[in-house]
Amino acid sequence: MLDPALVDAILERARRSGADLVELFVERKRNQSIAVEESRVERVNSGHDGGAGIRIIHGTVVAYVYTEDLSEAGLLKTADLAAAVGRRGGGVFSVAALTGTPKPARPVEISPDSVPTERKIELLREADEAARSTSGVIRQVSLGYGETVQDVLIATSEGIRHQDQRTRVRLMVQVVAGRDSEIQTAMEAPGAEVGFEFFQRRSPVESARIAADRAVKLLDARPMPAGTMPVVMGNEFGGVLFHEACGHGLEADFVSKGSTVYAGQLGQKVASEILTAVDDGSEPTRWGSGAVDDEGTPTRRTVLIDHGVLQSYLHDRRSAGKQGLPVTGNGRRQSYQHLPIPRMSNTFIAAGDATVEQILAATSRGLYARKLGGGQVDPVTGDFVFAVTEGYLIEGGRVASMVRGATLVGNGPKTLHKVDMIGQDLELAPGTCGKEGQSVPVSVGQPTLRISELTVGGTG
Amino acid sequence: MNPAAARLLARASTLGADAAEVFLSSGTEFSVKVFNREIDSLVSAQSRGVGLRTLRDQRVGFAYTFDLGPQSLDALVDEALRNGRYNHADEANALPPVAVADPIPGLYAPDLDRVDPQRKIQFALDLERLATSTDPRVKRVSDVVYSDGSGHVELANSLGLDTTFDRTVAYASVDAIAEQDSEMQSGYAFTYGRDLDALQLDATAQEAAQRAAGLLGATRVPTAKVPVVLDPYAGAMILGLLTNSFSGDAVLKRRSLLAGKVGEAVASTMVSIVDDARLADGLSSRPFDGEGVPSRRNELVTAGVLQGFLHNTYTARRSGAASTGSAVRSYKSVPEVGVSNLILQPGSQSRAELLAPVRDGLYVAQLHGLHTVNTVSGEFSLGVTGHWIRGGELAQPVRELTIAGQLIDLLRKVVGLANDPRFTFAGGFCGSPTVLIEELSVAGA
Repeated sequence: MLDPALVDAILERARRSGADLVELFVERKRNQSIAVEESRVERVNSGHDGGAGIRIIHGTVVAYVYTEDLSEAGLLKTADLAAAVGRRGGGVFSVAALTGTPKPARPVEISPDSVPTERKIELLREADEAARSTSGVIRQVSLGYGETVQDVLIATSEGIRHQDQRTRVRLMVQVVAGRDSEIQTAMEAPGAEVGFEFFQRRSPVESARIAADRAVKLLDARPMPAGTMPVVMGNEFGGVLFHEACGHGLEADFVSKGSTVYAGQLGQKVASEILTAVDDGSEPTRWGSGAVDDEGTPTRRTVLIDHGVLQSYLHDRRSAGKQGLPVTGNGRRQSYQHLPIPRMSNTFIAAGDATVEQILAATSRGLYARKLGGGQVDPVTGDFVFAVTEGYLIEGGRVASMVRGATLVGNGPKTLHKVDMIGQDLELAPGTCGKEGQSVPVSVGQPTLRISELTVGGTG
Repeated sequence: MNPAAARLLARASTLGADAAEVFLSSGTEFSVKVFNREIDSLVSAQSRGVGLRTLRDQRVGFAYTFDLGPQSLDALVDEALRNGRYNHADEANALPPVAVADPIPGLYAPDLDRVDPQRKIQFALDLERLATSTDPRVKRVSDVVYSDGSGHVELANSLGLDTTFDRTVAYASVDAIAEQDSEMQSGYAFTYGRDLDALQLDATAQEAAQRAAGLLGATRVPTAKVPVVLDPYAGAMILGLLTNSFSGDAVLKRRSLLAGKVGEAVASTMVSIVDDARLADGLSSRPFDGEGVPSRRNELVTAGVLQGFLHNTYTARRSGAASTGSAVRSYKSVPEVGVSNLILQPGSQSRAELLAPVRDGLYVAQLHGLHTVNTVSGEFSLGVTGHWIRGGELAQPVRELTIAGQLIDLLRKVVGLANDPRFTFAGGFCGSPTVLIEELSVAGA
């Protein structure tokens, strides 16, 4: 991406301040997005992003300077500015060593760049037609297509040089169904770190039908009665609860500050003994995957919780150094405009041995939260709230009527102790995770599982 | 005219565009985060980019780039026109007539760029120190950030528009952590202005510490239907959930809760809501919008009655209305419709007077799960941390509660507004006073 001699010169200039470590992050990203609304192409947009960030670490103090000017003169000027703002701080410099070897490049069979825009529009039109023909009560169908091809270069004054290319494609389908003054919406948004061949595996037509069916069914759903009850959580996007209510608490920057209940809990029992949780940024094609993280650390599989016992936090190089622990490949950033911080990649609860039928049959009365929407959590306490976008009452061990407006309310760490059945059907789903104003692609996931008791909010 | 803009407009015209518009932005950013009495990180940056919108045969094309080199600019014109080929033709696509916008006095504080960074760092250090020295149970913070930015916008189009504005913003926030036994509670406070000197140090530190410490000992309470009081930050968050419904674009796409209700009562008669892009100290203030239409103060709800919606040029033309100067954008996007500074107008009572008649009720200090709310149906069920109100005063803190209802129904149930407005970022720069809601279902233990 840059001439190696220029990379050396930038690092050299920035290090004149006497910094312990200098790191250069260069990014070029090309993206295209297409929106179809009201059955016509509303928007085809494209753009080029690019820039470079220089991070300077003096003791425990970090300074960061970035620019969009990637010319030789612009980069050297930025290196000089970095040397000037880099401040000698107190404390002992500690950044964990980079270890591991990146997995070989993931093959992209069909670069989305090479696919004609006409073909992408055709796929969206087919999906639009599929959603609309599902039912007469469909009022609105919105479709979106997005692709990004991101190239990064990471170089440090220790001599590390890593490049990575991350290609991602995603489809978004939102369906609004209505009857009289009643309106319900449903959304599907599959995506992967892979080329355009993704849509051969996950047909947009199928995604559109699933969203449309759910929106239509929600019109007949009854308001959820509030109360405390057993909750069976669906697989795949159900993992968002673990992500939000526990995963963030395992990010080592929160741990360093003591602002998570998991601080000081390594080796302690933090969950039911049937629960194992993993973060794996190296699994090919997952939405949150890459060969290396945004500090150049090769990605890897990290067991966070093993049969209920806390094994590891999620680290970037600084947090690992500070805590004297090995890197985990979780130093991620939204772009060259941001400092890397500990982030999840693809984080999930591992499969257990129950079948979905067994889990339901063992539940005489409760809520089957088949799909969750977004949620929010207080990272300090782990208190969470999640919307259930597809939920059913469970009566006599069977799935009964569909409900709407249900929310799950509770405390993440406490809830993990209450997981008493885990299914075999592990699936992951893509999402966008926000933290400190930075959005990064992540996967969440889990098998179907049961929480013995949880507060359910509702309007019924 | 900026030479890059001139080059883009000339090439767009040569290649057959009927009209074209260039949005250039550049700016500087400084931000410092401190932790445990030391700098944790410091960011200094200069950024810039350009977006080009073209019109040909009533089709809009758009592309953007960070690269302002001549080859990149020429390629940008080709790309925008190419993208435009696929988009549907719509006679509502047009550039607005050229109009001159009045400047907003004080929008740009020239001193901000000259402030010694050391003073900004000291502000953040002091904020942490003060937040952790007012209450023995508040010994640390999870985040203290000082940020500022200076932005420059240039907008030019083929109708002859060629205009610019500059704006500075500075803000700082702190999340204090209170601890007692094994319980932790957090408390947030935010201060803002056009430059460093406008920020309030002591009051912000104290507020964060008090909010955190005040929630210690939170217990759960039984399910009930009671009056609910939203503190100003919570009120602003709820207001933020309505931003989509005020958008003329959402109305066209049938995603607004307020569609078809202009002239009707959509809220209690106490409720008036304005979107004011010319608010003197509003962080989203600007003399003109993303298409160059002069900004103004738009009354959205007056004494409970819906007055109209926000529009950019396109949605206005499709709706038979006039643009309200509400096109929002960055160089990476076409002009969308959005709020600027959205304000729920305060009332005349003090907070104590507002609380006085509440015998038994819920005071909402923090809302959780805001992005779970379905803004199309308006149904919400939100987690709450706050206080129980007993005999008109705040009593014990409470947690793990939910309040549920529907947004429009909530507006109809407003029975009191205090005179203590606060602003924060909530899907726009939103301001609200303390709000008294007649009754909501509160789900608890």
